[in-house]
Amino acid sequence: MSAVAVHQFAQCITCHAWSPDHSMIALCPNNSEVHIYRMSEDKWERVHVLQKHDQIVSGIDWSSTSNKIVTVSHDRNSYVWNLEGSDWVPTLVILRLNRAALCAQWSPQENKFAVGSGAKTVCICYYEQENNWWVSKLVRKRHNSSVTSVAWHPNNILLATTSTDGKCRVFSTFIKGVDTRDSKTSSSSDTKFGEQILQLDLSYSWAFGVKWSPSGNTLAYVGHNSMIYFVDDVGPSPLAQNVAFRDLPLRDVLFVSEKVVIGVGFDCIPMVFAADESGIWSFVRFIGETKTPSSAPKYGSQFSEAFGKFYSQSKYGVNNDGTENSRQRGGIHQNCINCILPLKEPGVSMVRRFSTSGLDGKVVIWDLENQDDLFQ
Amino acid sequence: MAGVDDFVEADNAEAIISRIEHKSRKIESLLKQGRPVESLKTALEGSPPNTRDERCKSANWIVVHRAIMAIKDFDALFSSLDPEYYDILMKYLYRGLSTGDRPTCDQCLRIHERLTERAGLGCILRTLADTVNTV
Repeated sequence: MSAVAVHQFAQCITCHAWSPDHSMIALCPNNSEVHIYRMSEDKWERVHVLQKHDQIVSGIDWSSTSNKIVTVSHDRNSYVWNLEGSDWVPTLVILRLNRAALCAQWSPQENKFAVGSGAKTVCICYYEQENNWWVSKLVRKRHNSSVTSVAWHPNNILLATTSTDGKCRVFSTFIKGVDTRDSKTSSSSDTKFGEQILQLDLSYSWAFGVKWSPSGNTLAYVGHNSMIYFVDDVGPSPLAQNVAFRDLPLRDVLFVSEKVVIGVGFDCIPMVFAADESGIWSFVRFIGETKTPSSAPKYGSQFSEAFGKFYSQSKYGVNNDGTENSRQRGGIHQNCINCILPLKEPGVSMVRRFSTSGLDGKVVIWDLENQDDLFQ
Repeated sequence: MAGVDDFVEADNAEAIISRIEHKSRKIESLLKQGRPVESLKTALEGSPPNTRDERCKSANWIVVHRAIMAIKDFDALFSSLDPEYYDILMKYLYRGLSTGDRPTCDQCLRIHERLTERAGLGCILRTLADTVNTV
């Protein structure tokens, strides 16, 4: 088993984020609050409750060097939280949205953050020193539907987004006065703010969970049709690969190295995808599974189980979530996993540990020890 | 990718129809030779999910339906059907189920059970989630 720690924090977790030293976790227990827990003597202790939002918090990101937390919510607002003394002090960021904010991420240099929203727009927010104010700049009229996920390229300029119109897009987010022209990748910083670099039409259904590889050469995202997409050479002539798999769709992905991706989603168990020497991606295995996936699963028994559950539910009116499937698999999560984050050791390029949270209210820490074959 | 085939010119549709007619004759001869699995493969090959032309889709469905109904030995079917056909076959099974015709539905459900064992729930998801490339 490669799950090293499991903790039930709430009934349901919409998203979570780690403090820079991984000693604290911020999570939203499916309401308008953000709870911060600290590990002390092998126990998680709630140390802060961030109350400012009016509706469900849909995105949290904790910046690793500046120690700021950004939260976004269905109430269409965003707050940047700063630790002053022992209190987290919020600063309102007016996103100028007319629909819910859905996801947020700090840029690598932590001078900007991106917010995806249901208003078919992406907000790029940056701090204006002279006004002591966070400004939100919108990328409008580029998406035909809600923006489900955002991911920053390591160069701090390019931003990838996925949307429920099925597309994955890459934008330039160059902001005068915040970004400098002479950054490492001169070619990509020539473009203006909001200019679309690339649009990928690989999926015909909702797209989720976009991520860049550590070098920024490869892009991965998932479709709601049980497909995962890998795009190499992001630019004028991208090389795309579609990988179909036999299980339920994914919600989020994580690159643990250039050639290994972990996907999590409705199957309640992390899946490993890897590229071989020739760069062809394929599904490798599940993580932490007790049974081997090769034997054909008994769908008949699942159906009868579902029927049994249906009848017991109608009798007793209880709802004990569709978990039989994952229990059969020996999975640790009992419901859809919708968030996966790396737990990076400082100075180590490869991610060996990561955490997942999901609709079952658990946060699980996984270790890729004894999975050395993945990194060869 | 999707944009290219968005609209089918009349002569393009005619070309597809004549290809399907050709396929139909080939399937009949394969069925006469007692090779139902080959006939299903032939029927699924070159299916026109990208066109918007309902005539093409219906014509191909008739051909695929003919081949599906001729399948008797499911083990033989799945031992020789390559995984690349699974997704398109699943789409046609759902088209079959949507007809409501009793014998068709019976046959489609039987194949559906075996196909789900083979191809997993992901195959069903791909069928249901794809509203663009319908068969």
